[in-house]
Parts: sequence; structure tokens; C-alpha cells
Amino acid sequence: MKASARLVVELDSHGNSVVRVLRSQTPLTLVPARRVGPTALVHLVSSVTSPLGGDALELTVEVGPGASLDLRGVAATLMLPGPTGLPSSSLVRFSVEGSVRYLPEPTVVTSRAHHTAVVEAELDGHAELLLREVLVLGRAGESAGILSSTVRATRCGKPLLHQQLSVGTPSIDSSPAGLAGKRVIGTALMLDEVPRASDGGEWWNLVPLAAGGTLATALGEDVVTVTRVLDAI
Amino acid sequence: MLTALILADSRFPGGGHVHSGGLEEAAARGLVTDEPSLKSFLHGRLLTAGLLAAGFAAAAARGEDLELLDLELDARTPSPAQREASRAQGRGMLRAARRAWPSPRLSSLPASPHQPLVIGVLVGDPYEAALTCAYLAVSGPASAAVRLLGLDPFGVNAIVAALPVEEVAARAGKELPALGSPALDLLAEAHVRREGVRLFGS
Repeated sequence: MKASARLVVELDSHGNSVVRVLRSQTPLTLVPARRVGPTALVHLVSSVTSPLGGDALELTVEVGPGASLDLRGVAATLMLPGPTGLPSSSLVRFSVEGSVRYLPEPTVVTSRAHHTAVVEAELDGHAELLLREVLVLGRAGESAGILSSTVRATRCGKPLLHQQLSVGTPSIDSSPAGLAGKRVIGTALMLDEVPRASDGGEWWNLVPLAAGGTLATALGEDVVTVTRVLDAI
Repeated sequence: MLTALILADSRFPGGGHVHSGGLEEAAARGLVTDEPSLKSFLHGRLLTAGLLAAGFAAAAARGEDLELLDLELDARTPSPAQREASRAQGRGMLRAARRAWPSPRLSSLPASPHQPLVIGVLVGDPYEAALTCAYLAVSGPASAAVRLLGLDPFGVNAIVAALPVEEVAARAGKELPALGSPALDLLAEAHVRREGVRLFGS
């Protein structure tokens, strides 16, 4: 299934963030919350089982100056193989002049899934972006399929973070220099002007990026532990 | 080719011997204790951090813009401890290179350059530069393992010789890699926070 969706949020004359364009297509359904306020809330709903092998999903999000958007998932995403054996892909593109919080629910990479996920974000001088991702390597007792998840964030064209996370290669997943055998990986990218001191514990840390912003990373055995670490930051 | 051999030689006075590439922290936590666990560590390191560094060495050797490469490598190195380790080794290598191979191209490097860029500029050939960089990504941690864990140098050498260094170097030349290693990032930062005696700078 190929699908593309587009979401545009702008600030109106009353200081409310309003959804100006909302175009979605099965299986990528965007559901705006019925509320008026400084932050628009939109849920990203997968209206049929997706992504399946062969799917190509694309979402473009534009947030204008002064506007603020919370884009949330509603349920965990289960990446599954399709009947064709083809890989699946997703591309989410943010163009931010205001502020965005993108908080999808955890993604489970089931065995035999083969997915490529890309998130690209371009921010202007004062734009803010919070992006959280939690990946689970397989359902309980299952080994992970193949996933490549890439995030590239730029501010005025200058790169802030460009990172590809690859799971599904057993020799790297189990390596102390790869994923150290942990089943859950959580990251929270915070591109804003809030200063945060470096901090960390055995399997998590919070680090300042070279060109501004902060990245939190946590590895763990289960979603609850990893989510708790990210929530505490 | 000779330049690549000199840079990869542990005798080269670039200061690389004080870096363990996360191995000291992994050993302190008991994640690497013997030859099988060292093999797993080196394999993971080569295919993540090694591939990334090799890709940037190849790009620098191809003559790509060094300032841009420097920014792109920073964006691919979220851990400040790893950025500093890369730049410290870049500075050390550059200091030795100015005496050994004076060239105007050296002054086109940023003031405190990432090591893969220095390797790329010095070696000149993209594949050889990538190979040197990929090899250095595992040879330093391997000799650190011999010193820290008292492993058999013959066994460790056999592990290094069997690693797919050439394959990684060949892949590295295709496009700028961006592969991260969350565990290496965590180990690098934890190493900086660790109190007490540390033998290595990273």
C-alpha cells in the first residue's frame, strides 16, 4: 500500500494553533483533537495493520511561525512482513518554524519484518522539535526483523543530528559495541534552547549535541524501564 | 600506501595508544572478559563506529569540503566524549604529520580536526584511507584488551586478522555512513564519569 499524508498547522490571529491542511490516506490517518488552544493536538492512527511489507508511507508536516503541534500515536506500531516479501518504508518530513512534539508509541520490529524508516526535520532559527522513538526488537521470545531507522535534523540547513540505527543483525545487536543485547532502545531528541547538563547512568545518558540540542538515549530489557528513563528527563 | 602503513603502525606517535575506544569501560563492567566477548565487541565496533569513520576518511581523501565533513561528522557523533576522543587523536596525528609530510592541504583542515579527516587528507586514496581508519577503529581497542585483560596476544591478533576490515572499507566509500552505536555512546560517556584510576583517555 502506498499512502501519503500532509498536515499544516499555523497560528491564527487569536494566538491559537490551528490545522490548516489535513490530508490523509489509509492506512495513515490523521485525527485532530476537537479543542482550541495554543497547541494543536493531532493523533496519528494506523487505520489498518501497517506497515506491512511492500507499504510505502509518507507524511509531511509543516508548522508555521509561533504555532505549536503535538503529534501523537495511539497504539504501538507492529512492523510485519507482507505477503510479497518486499520491504516496507516510511518517511516523515517536518518543516518547523514553530514548535513540534512528535511522540509516536513504541514500534515493535517483528521477526521477518524489513522496514526502512526516515525522519527528516528542517528547523528555522528559533524552531523547536521534540522527537521520541522507542524500538522493541521483536515480540516476547521472538528475534527482531530488519529495521533501519534514520533521523536527520538540520537548523537553517546546518546538520544537528544525523543518526541511523540498525537492528536485526545478530552479531551487532548482541555486541557490547552495538546494542549490547538489549531488547529496547529509546531516544529522545530535544532541539530547543533549554540548557541541560550531561547526565547518565549505566544504560542511559543525556548529552549535548555539537551544534545545539540534546539527545537522550536509553537501552533496556523492556518498554516500561526505557520509557520511565525518558519520562524522567 | 606507505603513509597508510605508517599511520596504522602502533609506533606512530599520534597519541592513539591512550584511547581504548570504549573497551576500558566495557572491560570494567565485565562486558568484555575473554576472546569471544572481545571478538563480539570488535565486530560491533568495526561495523558501526569503524564504518562511520572509514566513510569520512574516504570522503576527505576524495577531496570533499573538509569544513562540511567536519560538521556532518559532529552531527553523527552525539557523544561529546567520542567527539573529543576523535578530535584529540586528529590533533595528535596532525602534529606528527606536519613534520613527516608537510603539505598545504594540511592547513585546509579545521583547527582541531576529527581523526578520519586527517587520515583521508594524508593517505589520499579513498579506499586506503578507509582501510586505515577501519583498521585503527579495532586495532587500538584490541591492544587495549591485551593490556587490560591480559589476553593472549596471539589469540587477539588472530581475532583482528579475521575481522571484515576490507569489506567495511569497501562499503565505506559508497556514501557517507550515519550508523550509530548506542552502546558505544553510553560506554564513552560512562568512561568520562567513572571515578578512580583509568588507564585510557577514552
